Amino acid sequence: MRKGFLLIAMLCSAALAAPLFAQAGFVPAQNIEWIVTSSPGGGSDIYTRMISDIMTKQNLVSGKTILVNNRTDGGGEVGRLTVSRVSMPRQADHTLLTFNSGDLMPMVANTANRVENFTPIAVMAVDKQLLYVIPSAKYKTFAEVIAAVKAGQNVVIAGSKGDDVATYKLLVKELGITENQLAFITNNATSDAITSGLGGHVDLVMSKPAAADQYVAAGRLIPVLALSKTRFTGNLASAPRLSEVGAYKDVEYPVWRGVVGPKAMSAAAAKFWSDVFKAVSESDAWKANYIDKFKLQPFYLNYEEAKAYMADYQADYLKSIGK
Amino acid sequence: MENLDFLLQGFLVVFTLENLGATLLGCVLGLIIGAMPGIGSLAGCALLLPLTYKFNPTTAIIMLGGLYYSNMFGGAFSAILLNIPGDTPAIMTTLDGYPMATAKKRPGQALLTSNISSFIGGLLGMIILTFTGPALANVGLKFGPVEMTTLLLFAMTSIGWLVGENPVKGLILTLLGMLVASMGMDTLTGSPRYDFGNIYLLGGVPFTPFVIGIVGFSQVIMLMEQRNIAPKLVTDKLTLRGSMLTRRDFKRLFLPSIRGGLLGTFIGVLPGAGATAASIMSYSAQKSFKSEEPLGTGAVEGIAACESANNGAAAGAFAPLLALGIPGSGTGAVLLGGLMLWGLNPGPLLFKNSPDFAWGLIASLFIANIVALAVSWGVIPFLVKILSVPTKVLIPAITVVCIVGSYSTSNSMYGVTIMFVSGILGYVMQKFKYSYAPLLLAFVLSPMLESNMRKAFIISRGKVEIFVEKPISLAFVIAIVGIMVFPIIRYFLIKKGFIKPKAKI
Repeated sequence: MRKGFLLIAMLCSAALAAPLFAQAGFVPAQNIEWIVTSSPGGGSDIYTRMISDIMTKQNLVSGKTILVNNRTDGGGEVGRLTVSRVSMPRQADHTLLTFNSGDLMPMVANTANRVENFTPIAVMAVDKQLLYVIPSAKYKTFAEVIAAVKAGQNVVIAGSKGDDVATYKLLVKELGITENQLAFITNNATSDAITSGLGGHVDLVMSKPAAADQYVAAGRLIPVLALSKTRFTGNLASAPRLSEVGAYKDVEYPVWRGVVGPKAMSAAAAKFWSDVFKAVSESDAWKANYIDKFKLQPFYLNYEEAKAYMADYQADYLKSIGK
Repeated sequence: MENLDFLLQGFLVVFTLENLGATLLGCVLGLIIGAMPGIGSLAGCALLLPLTYKFNPTTAIIMLGGLYYSNMFGGAFSAILLNIPGDTPAIMTTLDGYPMATAKKRPGQALLTSNISSFIGGLLGMIILTFTGPALANVGLKFGPVEMTTLLLFAMTSIGWLVGENPVKGLILTLLGMLVASMGMDTLTGSPRYDFGNIYLLGGVPFTPFVIGIVGFSQVIMLMEQRNIAPKLVTDKLTLRGSMLTRRDFKRLFLPSIRGGLLGTFIGVLPGAGATAASIMSYSAQKSFKSEEPLGTGAVEGIAACESANNGAAAGAFAPLLALGIPGSGTGAVLLGGLMLWGLNPGPLLFKNSPDFAWGLIASLFIANIVALAVSWGVIPFLVKILSVPTKVLIPAITVVCIVGSYSTSNSMYGVTIMFVSGILGYVMQKFKYSYAPLLLAFVLSPMLESNMRKAFIISRGKVEIFVEKPISLAFVIAIVGIMVFPIIRYFLIKKGFIKPKAKI
């Protein structure tokens, strides 16, 4: 009789404890859908597939399959809106979205969608820009560029969308000039900006280290200004910071690459994913095949830090565009 | 002849069982993918890219290069037989290909014309690529926003040749094409235009579903209307021999192919222009040359002009890609992404650091050209049978193809919706005898024109003089003025009796 009672008591307590256990330790129980809002082969796509590859190889997702889904409709807004609205708890815990500063800017500028509609999971890396000239350029250093602008010459920078534009605006503000004096051409991709630079159609090219790397190695582009608070290393070390060029403060607009989930994602799942991304960020494969190869700076933030970081970034950006 | 040496070394790289197999596989896949509407070389390369991670890079790029290249052959199949362009560069092929296959009852010859002119155009492009590779890429660099603006304006004036008998209708459609193309995010400032608060329209009207609808699905509606009255086309020539070209056909296709190949290669080298623009420009240019039959009624010259140009462009696009690491098109960008994943650094050092790779790829293009010609020639008798399929079976079959094709561009029903809407538009246009060529031409060219022109004005701080200050753009401006003024001068000369009016064909 006593034995039976004990057994029942144990079973009861186990049954009570089970849900608690499940909440504390989330593990993927179905295939994971990972949405990318750029087309296959693009920067975000490479980033996503690199991470999902490492996760699968190192068995971080308990043997489940990661399905990378490219959703490019509406300039990516449709994919972002879809993820923010996933409400089924189980589905929400198994949905990821690649989310970068370059995604946040058009999203908050053109739609009502905000970072608060997502569950930030991690920030993985940051990228910064430099300005380059070609060997036959009219202005060989950034000091010459500043002098020419002040003398009323028309100087043009070619760059890409989103973060490049934001960096350019910071630069113009710090130099105390107008956007007419130092003009900026927004290209669809950095490669287009480099093309017009190589042809001598613009004076300066703005690019992150990875896209310009080969051209620097071949001597066809020369870095003249680091848009960063520290100098770059390697073949980019010769580029001075803005404070080294004149009496200015350094201009820096870090471009981050991160991951978010739907707003309905449970706290346990967010913690689980945050830890998985931490493991990826510490893996050798990630450091060698992504960070070093594409010359990014490792910058891991867990889900709580990422939440605050993205919210701050959004607030700053909204303020800068007057919204 | 240093380059020839390199090319021979390239052939040595390709002539391994593995690489030849990769070429063959790439070609066959490319033909299939090209023939399926909606799935063009961009999607094809992107889908197959992950498969190649485990390959060695040379084999991988040889396969994808073959795929990209033979895609241009395959695109013409469905354009000629079903009036649905299999990939976007084949839009213009429908104009003459479909009438030649149906009204003229020469489907085999139409397919063969497209194959042979593709071969000629591609071969020309590859020869140019071999001998001038890096230098050619540097010529492309000379075309900045200013030069591109005048080049595109030049191409736009050629719409004048495409509007047909009724200039007002042509003009309406040109403007409609521009208007539709301007929907979506403004590329320079990122602000939304004509999105009507709809999140899908924020990304603009996607190209492929729009084209499939205007050209393809409108065809389905026409078929539905005629399903009881249309007499069934009887094709009794189903053999290879029956689809042979006559010596006269060959003569007719030869010169347009040479011109198309040269023009296509040149356009392919330019930044951001691509094979679609090349075939459109070549077709418009053909309008100003002599054709035995008027273009648009199933003329051999029309097919030859666009098919040779898009293959020339496909070859030409490899020059900036290999020599400078600059993708000339969306597919180029995917290949570039592939190069990086395989651990190669695309850029100005590629020819120096990985000559095996670069020249192996060029050599494989030559082989892909021959393989694609052989395979596509061989399948003609089977393909032509599509035309003897009864209309009642053809209608649902083409509808499915249209839906799948437009769904696959962004994996969503948005593309399908666009396809249906533009299909109805296309049907109404056909009913009222509007030609879709000016609409599609404006839709393709005007976004490029807009962004280049605005960039040019940023560079010049809004001064128009910049277009005549640079030699290349000055030449185009003179040509544009020439095209516009010539008919007026001719009119006066005829009036004064200096020249005789041309007899109407």
